Amino acid sequence: MIKAIPPAFFFILGAMLIPFFKGKVKQLYMLMIPALAFLDILYLTPGTSWVYNFLGYDLIFCQVDRLSLVVGYIFIIIGFLAILYSLHVKQDGQHIAAFLYVGSSLGVVFAGDLFSLYAFWEIMAVTSVFLIWFQKDRESLNAGFRYILMHIFGGCSLLAGIIIYTISKGSISVVQMQPGFAYWLILIGFGLNTAFIPIHTWLPDAYPEGTITGSVFLSVFTTKTGVYALARCFAGTDFIAYMGGIMAVYGVIFALLQNDARRLLAYHIVSQVGYMVAGIGIGTALGVNGGIAHVFNHILYKALLFMGMGSVIYMTGKRKLTDMGGLAKFMPVTCITFLIAALSISGAPGFNGFVSKGMVIASAVEAHMPALELMLILASVGTFLSFVKLGYFAFFAKNPEISSKEAPFNMQLAMGLTAFLCVFIGLYPKILFDILPYNVVSYHPFTLSHIFGVIQLFMLAGVAFILAKAMVVPHRATILDFDYFYRMGGRGLIWLSAVPMSNLRTTLQVRFSRAVYIIARLARNPISILEILTAYVYLRITKGLRYVSGYSSGETYDEDLYRRPMGVGVLLAIIFLFAFALIYFIF
Amino acid sequence: MRKMLKWLFILLAVLSIPVGFFIKHEHAVFFWDKIPSIEAIFGVIGAFLLILATAILTSFAQKKEDFYD
Repeated sequence: MIKAIPPAFFFILGAMLIPFFKGKVKQLYMLMIPALAFLDILYLTPGTSWVYNFLGYDLIFCQVDRLSLVVGYIFIIIGFLAILYSLHVKQDGQHIAAFLYVGSSLGVVFAGDLFSLYAFWEIMAVTSVFLIWFQKDRESLNAGFRYILMHIFGGCSLLAGIIIYTISKGSISVVQMQPGFAYWLILIGFGLNTAFIPIHTWLPDAYPEGTITGSVFLSVFTTKTGVYALARCFAGTDFIAYMGGIMAVYGVIFALLQNDARRLLAYHIVSQVGYMVAGIGIGTALGVNGGIAHVFNHILYKALLFMGMGSVIYMTGKRKLTDMGGLAKFMPVTCITFLIAALSISGAPGFNGFVSKGMVIASAVEAHMPALELMLILASVGTFLSFVKLGYFAFFAKNPEISSKEAPFNMQLAMGLTAFLCVFIGLYPKILFDILPYNVVSYHPFTLSHIFGVIQLFMLAGVAFILAKAMVVPHRATILDFDYFYRMGGRGLIWLSAVPMSNLRTTLQVRFSRAVYIIARLARNPISILEILTAYVYLRITKGLRYVSGYSSGETYDEDLYRRPMGVGVLLAIIFLFAFALIYFIF
Repeated sequence: MRKMLKWLFILLAVLSIPVGFFIKHEHAVFFWDKIPSIEAIFGVIGAFLLILATAILTSFAQKKEDFYD
């Protein structure tokens, strides 16, 4: 029987061959890779394989259980759809970066040990930054550098945690962590990728600066591998549950104020990942299932939202809500699929977000965490409001100046398929329930009170939006986030290096150069040191005495100043000659 | 037309409140689960709180677009 291959290898090895194909063959090849990986993952059975010994530790490239399988399925499905969306892109570099990014994310998911998990984790960070840099403008270059700096910080924290954990426990298996120093370091590493507040700033900073297609990939993998890693190692921690609640509310408040369409979506990633983190933090079967179900659903509708806004930016060249409006009649497919995604993320009945968001909120109730429940409901209201805002100002607000064509066919097809999946899972959630980590799902989403409650919540929030529309109208402005402190701290560090530290370096260099020069000069004639010292002391004393006595005729010529060192030399030569002659004559 | 739709929406939202009195939560855990049409209250209070939060945030964190340049 053929052994199933770790799905990561398909994408990582597949990336290498992309430049060798051209035209339609290349497009077919790129779609074939995720298709093959999906067939492969269907053959994976729970257990451990692809184990290699490294420095006495077992590196496990393929550890399969229900948790890794469900995340693996959705990563490959969205990999296929995002590749379909980006088929028209001509730059091989972008495709290679995207393939390596998808592959390394799958590597993290199926890694059975902390070492290989860390290696794939870092490949993810390095490859994903190219999806930002390929935008090739100043903003993306700067945002990419900030992104990679923060991920290097998170990676270092994770590595330090893994090393301490390995030394103290003697094991590198990916298991539930126990509190300690290593626990917090690893949590910071995972938390940075999961966009914990306040180390989330890389996300809304960099994702809107990515390429049109690159941002679709970015919106999926980094944060969700973070959630997956939390589910593996930190499930059932109260701190994480409440962090999820804070993220959910914090994200929507900032999203409501954004003018850049993709930055608004990026803040919603923070908010929606908050739901997942809350579910994982609650840690019950319903909580973890809800969190992971939300990973699955969120990946679909968030990728669809980035696809929709990407299409708008690709076709109109406008990325700010203040410049958009009235696009519904020009881009009907984009508009309809966007509305499906917006209803899904808001959690409207009949769409996939309704199912998983309900599970997470129900798990907070089940675990008797009233504050968390209220935070998640508040975030739900905010999500609905900000998507009413985004949809209205992008597609329906009056803008006589705008005109556009519909996006290319491959983009429309990708959006259509993703939208279909959002609705399909929304109407038939059993297909998702059957693959969740905990086998028994005792949750019934379609109860009358749940459906009515959500509709009523949205209607009244909608009324509030109509009445207070002026408050959420987009403005051309920057809303400062915690990145203000990082950016100003960074600028302070650069000033410290450029001014005081640089001055200190110059002063030290001058002093040392002078010291070396003097020593080198004295070393040429060591005997003169005494003479020079004497002359120096003499000069000082006479100068001092002259000053005290008020005598100032300027410097007088001292004939001994130069004559004496030479005289001493001649004297020494005569003494040696005399000693030599004496010895010669006597013996 | 737009105005009519708007008023129709507001009317439906208001009418949903009495309807809520006939629909009970299956698993009431916290005290608010027993209040009829609690989601309507959550919707209004939630929207109010969020708009208040954004107003407070903009008062000190809203800067010009080129603030960092």
